[in-house]
Amino acid sequence: MIATTLARILTKGDRVAVSNVTGREAMGVSIASQQYCGNIVGGWALGHDDEVIAVPRGRDIRVFGQFADLLKALPARERPNKVVVYSPPDAVYGDVKEVVENGQGIVKTLFVVTEHVSVEVTAKLRRLCDLARMDIIGCNTLGVINAPAGVRVGAVGGDAPGESFLPGSATIISNSGNLVNTIATYLQSAGLGISFGISTGKDPLILTPLKDFLVLAEKDPRTRIVVLYVEPGGTYERDALELLRRRNYTKPLLVFVAGAFAEGRDISLGHAGGVVDGPCTSATDKMRLFDEYFGSAPFNPADTRAASRHLARTRRGLRATTLHALVPAAKVLMEVLRLKPDFKPVRPVALNPWIVDLGALADKLPASLALQPGNVPSPYKELLAQQLKGGLGRVVARQSMRNASHASSNDGATPRVYGYSLPALMERPAPFAQAVLLAWLGSPPARDFEPRLFEMCLTASLTNGPGSISAQGAKLAASAGNEPHTAMMATLGTIGSIHGGNGKEAARFLVRLFRETGLVDPYDRKKAPNLDQRVQAYVADYQHRKSAAKNAGVEMEKVPCLGHPVFNREAVNYDPRERVISRYLEAQGLYNVFLDFYHRLARELQRQGVTSKVHAVNVDAVLTCVCLGIAWPLLVEKKITLERAVDLPFLTFALGRVAGGAAEYLDHRESGTDMDMRVPVSECRELTRPRD
Amino acid sequence: MTNTRIGELVFLEHFAPLYKLPVPEHLAEPVTQSKLKEKLGRWGAGIVKPDVLAGKRGKAGLVRKVENVQDALRVLRDVAAEEINGQNPRGAYVVQMVPADLEIFTAISYSSRTLSPAFTVSLRGGMEVEAISEADKVTVPLNVFQGLNAYQASEALAKLGLKGKLNSRLSIVFVNLWDMFITTGMLRCEVNPWRVTTDGRIWACDFKATFDENNFKARDLGLSWPEYPSRETAFEAEMNAWAAASHQGQAHVSSLGGKKILPLLFGGGASTIITETLTQLGGEPIFLSDFGGNPPYERMKKTAAICFEHHLHQCALLLILGGKANNTLIDVTFSAIADAIQECVDAKGPVSIPVVVGRGGARLVQGMVALSKTLSNLRLPYVFFGPDTPITLVAEYAVALMRAGEQRKPKGRL
Repeated sequence: MIATTLARILTKGDRVAVSNVTGREAMGVSIASQQYCGNIVGGWALGHDDEVIAVPRGRDIRVFGQFADLLKALPARERPNKVVVYSPPDAVYGDVKEVVENGQGIVKTLFVVTEHVSVEVTAKLRRLCDLARMDIIGCNTLGVINAPAGVRVGAVGGDAPGESFLPGSATIISNSGNLVNTIATYLQSAGLGISFGISTGKDPLILTPLKDFLVLAEKDPRTRIVVLYVEPGGTYERDALELLRRRNYTKPLLVFVAGAFAEGRDISLGHAGGVVDGPCTSATDKMRLFDEYFGSAPFNPADTRAASRHLARTRRGLRATTLHALVPAAKVLMEVLRLKPDFKPVRPVALNPWIVDLGALADKLPASLALQPGNVPSPYKELLAQQLKGGLGRVVARQSMRNASHASSNDGATPRVYGYSLPALMERPAPFAQAVLLAWLGSPPARDFEPRLFEMCLTASLTNGPGSISAQGAKLAASAGNEPHTAMMATLGTIGSIHGGNGKEAARFLVRLFRETGLVDPYDRKKAPNLDQRVQAYVADYQHRKSAAKNAGVEMEKVPCLGHPVFNREAVNYDPRERVISRYLEAQGLYNVFLDFYHRLARELQRQGVTSKVHAVNVDAVLTCVCLGIAWPLLVEKKITLERAVDLPFLTFALGRVAGGAAEYLDHRESGTDMDMRVPVSECRELTRPRD
Repeated sequence: MTNTRIGELVFLEHFAPLYKLPVPEHLAEPVTQSKLKEKLGRWGAGIVKPDVLAGKRGKAGLVRKVENVQDALRVLRDVAAEEINGQNPRGAYVVQMVPADLEIFTAISYSSRTLSPAFTVSLRGGMEVEAISEADKVTVPLNVFQGLNAYQASEALAKLGLKGKLNSRLSIVFVNLWDMFITTGMLRCEVNPWRVTTDGRIWACDFKATFDENNFKARDLGLSWPEYPSRETAFEAEMNAWAAASHQGQAHVSSLGGKKILPLLFGGGASTIITETLTQLGGEPIFLSDFGGNPPYERMKKTAAICFEHHLHQCALLLILGGKANNTLIDVTFSAIADAIQECVDAKGPVSIPVVVGRGGARLVQGMVALSKTLSNLRLPYVFFGPDTPITLVAEYAVALMRAGEQRKPKGRL
């Protein structure tokens, strides 16, 4: 090994370059690394010259076509001395060769993260790097972290390395990348932080063997304990222990060997190199080798005295037989060898359930198994509370939707909407409203009155006269001689969060107010929450905020969808379109809790003198009340997302209004004259005097 | 995916002629009486062998000498039908009997000590080459770029006391053996033994090799890989086919014969440790799995769907467990698992098993909440643990919970 200390493998100030940096995994990991420690000076990927990977809250990563280009472009002080290889397996050899040829004297260490590199290529990589006097770690390493320096290469620690790797005095050397992270978390329970976390990789050939790392760990001034996670395969442990004996190794080891259960079974473990292929390569052999080196039986958490006695004599270390026994073993080791903890142990090693719902089963279990939710550590606690509290709606995993759709399909015979045959939908009564609701909610309307109400909303959205901005948009397009679709787009282009889109705000407003009320069906009067109480509370809060805003001289946030520019002249105002829907509900014996709330709110604001009149509950509000009323049970049942539900009122308005825009277009094209929407120069006001 | 292995017959038929490796004549299916008569007439005697992948001298008991056609036909039938270490042979074949004065054993493999290929030669056999004592074998570490040259081979043989013309002849053969090893993407090849006749002729008399699935050279060697009968379960077969169809993420499973705990495990190391804990405590895990590698949603969902299709309605407890992920997005994997459970229940009817979950990593809480919502909808009892509870403790709890259910309902389902 060329490096003479662990810090030479990775320390603050190292400059890292990443191969195939635009790949899915490499990019994600590089962004997280850059945010954590900012040590990436650039990356390369064939065909991606001059691209830049944006790093939120960090320095962007420049991308070059080749490694040689990266070296040429970067100033000498930024040239990489570390290279992380994320290339596809068949490209690894070429990329490492390029680094070796161009980076000699500059690059000191390569970390090959790529999995499934052939053994032949792996052996060649080692040979190439030996000749170039470069260290190489991998293949299939997850990387290395230097916790006290706060730097890493690769993905060790995931997107929050600081959470697992508290700086301290244990160095973990692990055949499993995941176990580096996992063991670091467990050791916090023993008050042990981490000096270095090293994922060796566990391919058939481990390019930097255990003995080399152990020699460096001995020299590392911060490392007081070396923790090993070992799997079957290879003679690395035998070779390492021979070396430790020869040099009277001074640092204690804490060891866990896994994989014995697979012996005698024709199964392969998860790691490619976990193959027993001779003496000293099986898990049992490795356990024996460590037990011989330690001169003691494996650590038994139930008999720590025996372990202490042996350890006091040999001072070489302990082997744990279960992973969680590493923690009590570490405590014994620190106590006997008089090593002070790095910090106060953060939590005991115990079952700590985060979410529990054993239902009726809990009553039938012994107390030790009928667990209750424990103490969730921060920041998970807050996030969990927030996610569970926001219990409305479904959480959907993201995926590439380029050629995929839940909403539609066509098997060559039948077009379908969410799995329902479109021709069959056409046969139903009120097919349009039925089909649109299905398309927007992912399931057919549950109750007969829903399509009817929805249709009324579409009709209400059709127009608000030729002076409305959206009608003007269609008329302008028609006047300019456009095709009908352009006029319809102009209509859609002239609606927005102020005109028509306020329903989205209203939906968010109602969700905020009702999400914790236990409301299940907004159309069920009997199970409606106490509205008077809620209205009173809201008005009091509103009044308080209004006076605070006035004192501060800032504009007050208005109640969405309350009031209308036209229907505002009376002491008590009504939007006629809202009235029709309200009357229909009444006539049908239906109830909508959201609409009821809106009316009560308008009245109470006036009654308490917050406003001088009863504002109209406008059409956007009634659209929202109807749509959210239909969507709410689906939110409660986690069948749709909250985002989908709050979009529904605006979509309804837009769909109705675009038909109205088409009407304006047809009328205007028939009866209007070309360019008649143009404003004559004489009517335009100059607000800037000529300056030339 | 696993590395491809071959036995002697493929070597005799395909590789030996290509690399000019001296082998005895052989006769494989279809064996006709006339051909057999002609061969045995010339050979004097033959050896009937099963075409099977049974290492560690496992097939030794089924290697039989035959001297006449009737015996040969009968033995061929018997040997082809015999099970060896749980494996059925693909068939049987007969090889020319080579009387020998000397046997030499060789292996080429990669050494974890020298991190390079290594050539081992010995006059002792009858065991794995690694098990032969250092004093009885010579191992030559090789430069992977240069390979084995005749001088190195000759020196190794000289150390074993083999000199003169035999040394030269063997050295040339061994160089050809290396050529085959390196140009075909092998991980390991063994000739056990080379037999040297009194007139100094050399014959490769048994052979086995493993090819590196990751080596492009092994992917297209112009032969169809032999399909040795295996004990692969329908579940393993479907999962392996699915794993082979995708290059992103892993979907590694090996059936363990258990019937109680259905384990969806993440990470090579964590899956090993968890399965070990479950096995030690009598949790009877159905299979060993490793579904790590940050699988995309669709891959995880299909993987989980296959597991559920085969086992959800038969198991006593579902365990979804991994360490603290470095790369894997937990919300993606958990949402995919949740959707797969939902679809399995939609298709096959409800289940009432407890679910134990333990994981850490990016977007953990979102993943837990998404999965818990589905489990709640399906009315499945569940417990979720975060990364602060060791995976081995979670595995212990899962076994205890499963057992408590068994005590309550002797048939094993809660």
